[in-house]
Amino acid sequence: MAAKKLQIALYWGAACGGCDVAVLDTNEFILTVGEAADIRLWPIAADGKYQDIEAMADGELDLSLFNGAVRNSENEHIAKLLRRKSKLLVAFGSCAHLGGIPGLANLTSKEDIFATAYLGNASIEPGNRTVPHPKTQVNGHSLEIPAFYRRVYRLSDVVDVDYFVPGCPPEPSQIKNVLLAVVKGELPPKKSVVGASERTLCDDCARRKTEKKVKRFYRPWEIIQDPERCLLEQGIVCMGPATRSGCGVRCPNSNQGCRGCYGPAPGVVDHGAKFLSAISSIIDSKDPKEIDAILGTLPDFIGIAYRFGLPASILQRRHGA
Amino acid sequence: MEDLKIGVYVCNCGTNIAHVIDAESVKNYAATLPGVKIARSYRYMCSNPGQEMIVEDIRSQGLNRVVVAACSPRMHERTFRNACRTAGLNPYLCEMANIREQCSWVHNDSVAATEKAMALTRAAVLRVACQEPLEGLTAEMCPTTLVLGGGIAGLTAALELADGGFPVVIVERADRLGGNLTRVDLTAPHFDSARDLVRERIAHVRGNPNVTVMLRSELRSLSGFVGNFTAEIATNGGKPTKVRVGNVVVATGYKEFDASRVTHFGYGKLPNVITSFDFERMLRAGRIETKDGRLPQYAAIIHCVGSRSEEFHAYCSRVCCMTALKYANEIKSAIPTCYVSDLYIDMHAFGKGCEDFYKRSSEAKTLFLMYGKGDHPVIRRAASTDDCDMLIEVEEKLSGEHIEIPADLVILMVGMEARADAADVAHVVNISQDKSGWFIESHPKLDPVATTTDGVYIAGTCAAPKDIPDTVAQARAAAARILAKIAKGKIEIDGVFAEVNEEQCSGCRMCNELCPYSAIEFDADKKRSHVIPAACKACGACVAACPSAAIKGRHFTDAQIFAQIEGVLL
Repeated sequence: MAAKKLQIALYWGAACGGCDVAVLDTNEFILTVGEAADIRLWPIAADGKYQDIEAMADGELDLSLFNGAVRNSENEHIAKLLRRKSKLLVAFGSCAHLGGIPGLANLTSKEDIFATAYLGNASIEPGNRTVPHPKTQVNGHSLEIPAFYRRVYRLSDVVDVDYFVPGCPPEPSQIKNVLLAVVKGELPPKKSVVGASERTLCDDCARRKTEKKVKRFYRPWEIIQDPERCLLEQGIVCMGPATRSGCGVRCPNSNQGCRGCYGPAPGVVDHGAKFLSAISSIIDSKDPKEIDAILGTLPDFIGIAYRFGLPASILQRRHGA
Repeated sequence: MEDLKIGVYVCNCGTNIAHVIDAESVKNYAATLPGVKIARSYRYMCSNPGQEMIVEDIRSQGLNRVVVAACSPRMHERTFRNACRTAGLNPYLCEMANIREQCSWVHNDSVAATEKAMALTRAAVLRVACQEPLEGLTAEMCPTTLVLGGGIAGLTAALELADGGFPVVIVERADRLGGNLTRVDLTAPHFDSARDLVRERIAHVRGNPNVTVMLRSELRSLSGFVGNFTAEIATNGGKPTKVRVGNVVVATGYKEFDASRVTHFGYGKLPNVITSFDFERMLRAGRIETKDGRLPQYAAIIHCVGSRSEEFHAYCSRVCCMTALKYANEIKSAIPTCYVSDLYIDMHAFGKGCEDFYKRSSEAKTLFLMYGKGDHPVIRRAASTDDCDMLIEVEEKLSGEHIEIPADLVILMVGMEARADAADVAHVVNISQDKSGWFIESHPKLDPVATTTDGVYIAGTCAAPKDIPDTVAQARAAAARILAKIAKGKIEIDGVFAEVNEEQCSGCRMCNELCPYSAIEFDADKKRSHVIPAACKACGACVAACPSAAIKGRHFTDAQIFAQIEGVLL
């Protein structure tokens, strides 16, 4: 007798769609999933309505993969709905795991975002001062749209999350591993990060590493790099030492510094702060002026160190925002 | 984990704490904190009855954590840890809240200070709950000592150790032993022969089977840690040989200030302007004379050349004043008709017997002329009609007059400065230099021969200018420190150090160069770094830097620090 099919849902919150594409990137494996599972909701690829989910019994879904951050009331509503209906809820990809790229919005304020997008934008019709409001009256009708939150949250800020799959997007082979582990019931203890290593990228990176001393930082186009040697030692910013491995060293193998999308190593409290202490430890100078000059070659530090994890940081949003 | 039973002890420190802080309220508040079984306050917690109170409570109440809200842990942490140890509680389960230096001594507002004392106590209570029992380690102590430098300091330290029965290796860059002292004739203030002093030392060193002398040699590298160093020593620039040593005495000495850097004295241009070391050479040759072989009719001695100056070295070189008096005496006794002038800023005569020496010298018809700090005498060639070779102009400070004095021979009292290779030595043995290049001691008053690197000691003028008695005292002190360690046989290593969790280390090598104590080694085969506990000073630099949180600072874990922060902020 065929085993009962897995009931699964895939959902996106504040996301770019890349995580969904990564699931499709498992190629024919996704067909195997289709055979072994009923996909009950997957807005990007399959039919399925919120009402269908609402109509389910609690815990009816075996697995929900939630990608994207929580930016508005709709994201939170569906997160809570899927939590109720799912035996396992997985934060899938950097945004759900740590807040991701949308989380960088916590550096500014809701008002500034609206002003940029709806008031100051060159493509706005002159004189139009319309900004979104959750409730709008039009010709006696009431229109409702999701409320835009003052800050971005990661999934675990609003619901209890069982597992975390890091990556922007998660590596397709790791997605396979995770899905197979679910099918086989071979998951580690709850709250674990799955589909990733327990060490940092340096452990898997084949580049030659010696002792690190940096006199200036380079953006990748500013230097002809030695393809064999540790990027950071060449002054090319690489989050590898501070970032959980599991991606297959995709960026350094493509001659780009690691961007940190797999998040911090196990036990690290704050990814960006850890990277900051690491970076400041390798600056090769004791002269305050020279140190300032070296740091001056490091552009947009928050954008580097917190690119994927500002909402997960002990830094939160801009003061007063 | 067993239930927390924390004892909190609030010290009044007589009135030091209690005059600002309401210690009773702090005690009552502490009693309400989670896990606190007992809270007491007492007049002097560090007194015997205070300590006994803790011991008794641990025994009778089964306390498993102790917080003492009192003075700085630098003052009494050891006291209270020992009390815990006496009662059978691991000493690392004791935490102090500093409500004196950081609270009562710096605040006047009693209400706010009491509130702050409560917050500090709460932080300590929350922290101590996360603390873990720790054990120290022990390591072997290699009895061989490496002495860098074969001058009076190095020779003395070596002899002290060798006479104690332990092997010593002296590494000397030059091709002979003796150092700067071999360039000196007689010493102040008693006119003993420097040569005799140093010859006696060298003869003993040569005759002692425990001492190995390596001339024309230098230390290339020093790895390991106290008791277990490996020194690589190269002779004649050849391939280095490895020597295992337990301790190192750095006695690399000084070099004299280069007088040609001071342009207004004409050194190098005026033939009869010479340095104190040039004059010593003359003295040892037995004849004081001008360049063309005449006996000088007028001699002048100028103090503080390169020393006590904004332009060169701000410090006093300490030995030149007495040496200058020695010269005045020596010139007078060799050439009784010679007029000797002594141009000084201040006469520093602080050593034993030196003030007497100054008094005697000033009665011997030497003309003392005082000039101002920041000012300087100017030397020029005399006219052919003058009966002297040079004329020295000086604004004499005591008379307030512009004075011109004749001179046939001018002796510049050049100061001491750090050797040019001091930075290399500091790097190899991992010690620090001050802004003048002198090696830095562990504590200027209480620990003057130890350094921040365990097992590395400094003695003599490599640490700062000093005279022979002080140098010898330091050399013997360093030897005594080492002998005490050798006598113990083992090194006790504090339980607080950084450790690498090899399961988490990714071998990024971020920490390798960072450690100021060279306590981190990288295992190229395993591709993992590890900390040598005996060399680690628990500064935490690597813990903060480790990007994968693989390095844990024992006794300073994230959990402990966050608990403490939470306690202060609550």
